[in-house]
Amino acid sequence: MSAKIAGTRIAGVVSARDSRHGLWFLPLLVGLIGGVALAATAADFATTQNLLNLAAQAAPLLLVSIGQMLVVLVRGLDLSVGSVISLSTAILSIDAPATVTIPAVFVMALAVGLVNGVAVTRFHVHPIIATLSVTGIAQGITMLVRPVAGGTIPPIVTVLVNGEFLGIYMPLIWVVVAILAGWKLIHGSRFGLHLFAIGGGDTADTFGIASRRNILLAYVACSTFAALAGMFLAGRIASGDPNIGTQYAVDSITAVALGGTQLAGGIGSLQGTVIGTLLLSMLANGMNLLNVSSFVQTAIKGLILLAVIAIQPRKTIGL
Amino acid sequence: MTAVPLVSMTSISKAFGSSLALRDVSFELLPGTVHALMGENGAGKSTLMKILAGVVRPDAGTILRNGVPVQMNSPREALDAGVSTVFQELSLLPNLTIAENMFLGREPLTPSGRIDNAAMARATRETLKQLDLDLDPGRLVGGLTIAERQFVEIARGITANADVVILDEPTAALNAADVEILNRHIRALKSQGKAIVYISHRMEEIFRLCDVVSVLKDGRNVATVPVASVSPQELIAMMVGRDIAELFPPRGDGAKSAVALSLDGIRLTADSPPVRLDVHQGEIVALAGLEGQGQRELIRSIIGQYQPVAGTVEVKGRRIALPIAPASGVRRMQALGVGFVPEDRKDEGLFLDLSVAHNIAIGLNSRHSALSIARRYRDIIQDAIKSMAIKVSRPSAPVGSLSGGNQQKALLGRYLALGSDILLVEEPTRGVDIGAKAEMYKLLRDFANRGGAVLVLSRETIELIGLCDRLYVVHGRSIVAEMPAAGASEHAILEAALQR
Amino acid sequence: MSALRHPVLRAATRIPPSYVVFIVLLGALWVLKPAMMNPNILGTFARQVVPLGIVVLGQLLVISSRSIDLSAGGVILLVNYLISSGLLGGIDPLAVIGICLLIGLAVGSVNGFLVGKRRASAVIVTLAVSIVLIGLVEYLANGKPPGDVPAFFRNLYNARPAGVPAPLIFWVGLAIAMSLVLSRSVFGRFVASIGSNPVSAHFSGVPVERTVVAAHIIAGFMSALAGLVQTASIAVGSVRFGPELVMNSIAATILGGVIFGRGAGVWGPFVGVLCFALLFVVMTSLGIQEPGKLVVQGCIILLAAVFYGVRTKVN
Repeated sequence: MSAKIAGTRIAGVVSARDSRHGLWFLPLLVGLIGGVALAATAADFATTQNLLNLAAQAAPLLLVSIGQMLVVLVRGLDLSVGSVISLSTAILSIDAPATVTIPAVFVMALAVGLVNGVAVTRFHVHPIIATLSVTGIAQGITMLVRPVAGGTIPPIVTVLVNGEFLGIYMPLIWVVVAILAGWKLIHGSRFGLHLFAIGGGDTADTFGIASRRNILLAYVACSTFAALAGMFLAGRIASGDPNIGTQYAVDSITAVALGGTQLAGGIGSLQGTVIGTLLLSMLANGMNLLNVSSFVQTAIKGLILLAVIAIQPRKTIGL
Repeated sequence: MTAVPLVSMTSISKAFGSSLALRDVSFELLPGTVHALMGENGAGKSTLMKILAGVVRPDAGTILRNGVPVQMNSPREALDAGVSTVFQELSLLPNLTIAENMFLGREPLTPSGRIDNAAMARATRETLKQLDLDLDPGRLVGGLTIAERQFVEIARGITANADVVILDEPTAALNAADVEILNRHIRALKSQGKAIVYISHRMEEIFRLCDVVSVLKDGRNVATVPVASVSPQELIAMMVGRDIAELFPPRGDGAKSAVALSLDGIRLTADSPPVRLDVHQGEIVALAGLEGQGQRELIRSIIGQYQPVAGTVEVKGRRIALPIAPASGVRRMQALGVGFVPEDRKDEGLFLDLSVAHNIAIGLNSRHSALSIARRYRDIIQDAIKSMAIKVSRPSAPVGSLSGGNQQKALLGRYLALGSDILLVEEPTRGVDIGAKAEMYKLLRDFANRGGAVLVLSRETIELIGLCDRLYVVHGRSIVAEMPAAGASEHAILEAALQR
Repeated sequence: MSALRHPVLRAATRIPPSYVVFIVLLGALWVLKPAMMNPNILGTFARQVVPLGIVVLGQLLVISSRSIDLSAGGVILLVNYLISSGLLGGIDPLAVIGICLLIGLAVGSVNGFLVGKRRASAVIVTLAVSIVLIGLVEYLANGKPPGDVPAFFRNLYNARPAGVPAPLIFWVGLAIAMSLVLSRSVFGRFVASIGSNPVSAHFSGVPVERTVVAAHIIAGFMSALAGLVQTASIAVGSVRFGPELVMNSIAATILGGVIFGRGAGVWGPFVGVLCFALLFVVMTSLGIQEPGKLVVQGCIILLAAVFYGVRTKVN
């Protein structure tokens, strides 16, 4: 099988124009056209206020998607990011000092990432099964900690995500920092290159790369990004919400796939993920402005995901 | 020379499951030598080298590096210990650039902690230039030709600052000019006092290049001698352990019968010349030549697993235009009585965790509609097990529990049970022991004697010469020569291939 | 790991985990609430998991073929909406059933086409299809309270021929049919072959694409059937359910010893579903709420999967 898979990858790479960055310029084009169209049809779209709103809407999805992309690069998938987000907001809304709750969020993220990563790398559990069952566990704990939305969030968190710093809108800073961190991880470090290598074929180990440890780290990083997204959201709504993360698993996969990252691993780019995230957020923002029902928005997101997946041909059938 | 060996492996043993890959093998590498490692496929060469490269861990034995005991627990550790390997199966990652592949796992960093792409590109360009290669280090490996990739792989092994370099069939995909370039570099390495392990099946190269040769057979080191002291014939005798002629059943009588299968006007790529060949009933015909010259593509075109540009296949008088749809090709050909026995029995042929019975009967079941009731075919399965002498306790035992040779027989049994009268066979004896090889040859010959037609390809040219009636020599995606197998030699085939 | 080399332990790992879990849960119930060990009560609980059981019959088929179906929730929701909204009011109930089953077949065909022919990732495809269906139903139902389920369906659901709940009989019948298909038909051989090794299956002449498509169509059909039973079980329609059912269907299948590419049959997952019924009984009687159930279910899937991972490694 391995020879076959290698063959497929070769073909995939060649069709992606001698680059492992995937087809990110296509969504960029779609995004630009969509942006112009929205600016023309919805009067409120191209206002400063709305664009700042857009940044605030996009920031958590961007964080989750960058984490998701790390896992996708090594042929994985993390469905537990949504429950990690919800659990993060629930932990932050506990009536306890910030010095306890904030570290607790990251310990939780570390634990989730380790369970996912160990199950996948040491016990050969399929990533979907591993992260799906962890989703159940994390969601259950969330509902124990915070059965209904409410509670208060430590002021430090709300300050960090609202208002301005040195005259710059806080969510914008989050977006920029997330992009910089993502770029460093994916395109600016040995870790990132090794993730591409592991996703690119079965031979990474013969190059002296510790595949299993790197995959484990990718899952831990993914959970950590999700926890950061949870913190951001908790600060925005200033309370805990056990269901706030629900749609983020699918949304992040959509954003990553939309940005040209191949779910078969080894091909993708941060710019693609950023564009995919912005495109998805713009869609939601624009449809809100045009008063499209949120249910129709859900259906449209599903259709976009289907379309993106259908044009990514693979060799293997199934999962 | 009384120098301390760079590497000295003592009493190495290794078993995979129930089969012993290496038994008590000792192996020494002296500085400034090119050491040939020979043996049939499955003799243990690759396993021995994988142990040295840290990919596989031995069950028993010690490894001394410059006289000091070492553990090679991972490829990383082996590299750090100065052992660099160029594996036979291409291990480069297609989605990385040439430079990244060259430095993967030991990337240079800039002071700010980023990967130093400029330094990697510079060093890569220099190394490639040494190998007379003018490739952009920024190109993705996925876009290179097989030969280019092989060179990048070799360049990688050479630059790793190692003084032990293992080259596992480095020339399989290279043409004569490239082989010469490679040889020059191997000699240069040798003059630097490094030790090179050279695994190859090509006698000519061994005698031109190597100083010492070790021969492995069935997991044992049967001899380590200076190359100058042996003849090619002696080497072959050591590898096989008996006269090769005994392995093969007698050929057919050569009487011409009807054409069973013919290919016409097949062009594998837009710029390759058309190929035409015939296989008669009762005949075993080989696609010979250097590895990777298009034999596999040719055979797989017939069942839709490769999409040639143009051509037709004629099966017992029925003409079919190529290319055939990949999804239905196998079924269409099976319906016409053509069985395709894939090369990789574990990954492409068998269902290892399912029973021998299932593995044999699945072909028969596949001929029926999905809605029909599956028959057990008890008699056919019993008959196949008995007539092919498949050693298995009961038909319900998983096929994965059988030895390699018996697995191979079960796989062939599937297509024989189907009543195929034309067989397309890739690598009929890959990784099976010598006794099972003889049995496979006999089964194929019996099939031909019953009127069947066989088209076969193999990496082992000796096998093709012994087994077949007629050979087509494939080179550069076209047939460059046709010759009767009786009287053919490896040398003649190589010459025919390289004439153009 | 070396302990698993022991022949007895290795033999033990061949039994679907569901059998063991079932016995443990039964023992726990017997100790904790002996009063619940009553065929009538257990029958009622078993009746509740029939929709899950039917979804599992489709799920085990796709998982055996190395695929997965996450769209059952969407199909069930759509079926439920069509029946309870009164949209199809005035139509013969049998025709309503027919329409619902056709929808199941259609959704299964879309899944099958994209997974089998387009070779798109099954997780993403079926997830996306589910999202589309859920969005569609929520949009259609927007603001309107769900209506009543016609009496015809409820009467069917509450029937107890010979004292056995009708849905249970239906489920067992379907399971026997599926078991026969898998063990006796050529299709079953195809599924087993693809599960073991899709490439080998292709070279053996198995129509891999067609088989995967068919498995998805059957799974879609099963989801629609499950939707009908689910709808009949409630007096009024509901806009919210489905996600946990899909997760449980995967859990029960894995618990039953069917894992991607390792089909073990119908009865392991069947008992896996019964485990869930017992689990509900035990947890409800212990006063464990929804969150606790989620945690326990998650742990069970993970442990079952790890168990199989270890087993694969040993082999």
